[in-house]
Amino acid sequence: MSKKKLDVFQAIADPTRRAILILLAAQALPINALAENFDMSRPAVSKHVKVLHESGLIRIEESGRERYCMLNQNGFREVTNWFAFFEKYWNDKLHLLGKLLDDNNQ
Amino acid sequence: MQRDIVIELFFPHSTAKVWEALTTPELLGKWFMKNDFKAEVGHHFNFKDKPRPGVAWDGIVYCEVLEVVPQRKLAYSWKGGPKPGVINLDTTLTWTLTPQDNGTLLKLEHRGYKGFKNYFSSIIMEKGYKLKVLKRLEEVLKQL
Repeated sequence: MSKKKLDVFQAIADPTRRAILILLAAQALPINALAENFDMSRPAVSKHVKVLHESGLIRIEESGRERYCMLNQNGFREVTNWFAFFEKYWNDKLHLLGKLLDDNNQ
Repeated sequence: MQRDIVIELFFPHSTAKVWEALTTPELLGKWFMKNDFKAEVGHHFNFKDKPRPGVAWDGIVYCEVLEVVPQRKLAYSWKGGPKPGVINLDTTLTWTLTPQDNGTLLKLEHRGYKGFKNYFSSIIMEKGYKLKVLKRLEEVLKQL
């Protein structure tokens, strides 16, 4: 498992960061262009971008003098891991239940 | 993003036996998890399993009994997260027992996943953005 400073859920909990994700869903944007969408300082927006980056939800790529932010689909995948985990978990548990019932009947 | 898990399995045992295994703390502890379960609506209890850091779960499940129909149906809330006080998973677990061919058809339904649904629908619901943008995001989420 990757070691990340922030989990995806914390990253998405903030409305500004959700808005950034929505903007990035449309297109990759340089941090400056992103910042223009918000009534806050560029450093404040950069801080949110940093959180999203650390949580793995976005990627940042250098292009010329600009740093472009874009969604990282693999980052979103983490939340779907729960499903995969529980599907296996339940099947394992039900297998154990079957064994217990069989053993108790003998 | 919303997905539910539904599993059906036949056991060649009476509904009485299966119900017993689902509702007796000692038996539950043998095949399921350590617990302080009681088959009483409103009873709050915990299940304890080993921590699974890979899916941000500390192994503790916080539950409340929601429905008890002896030998037919049992439902409880199923909440968990990476550490005490942090709930990422807010779900419901429902067991349905149906007598069938000298045995029991057991259905497990794990539903809700409010933790995810809320986060993602809140993204989708944010106002002030063009429809086109939202559609694109929905497409991205669908591909996950």
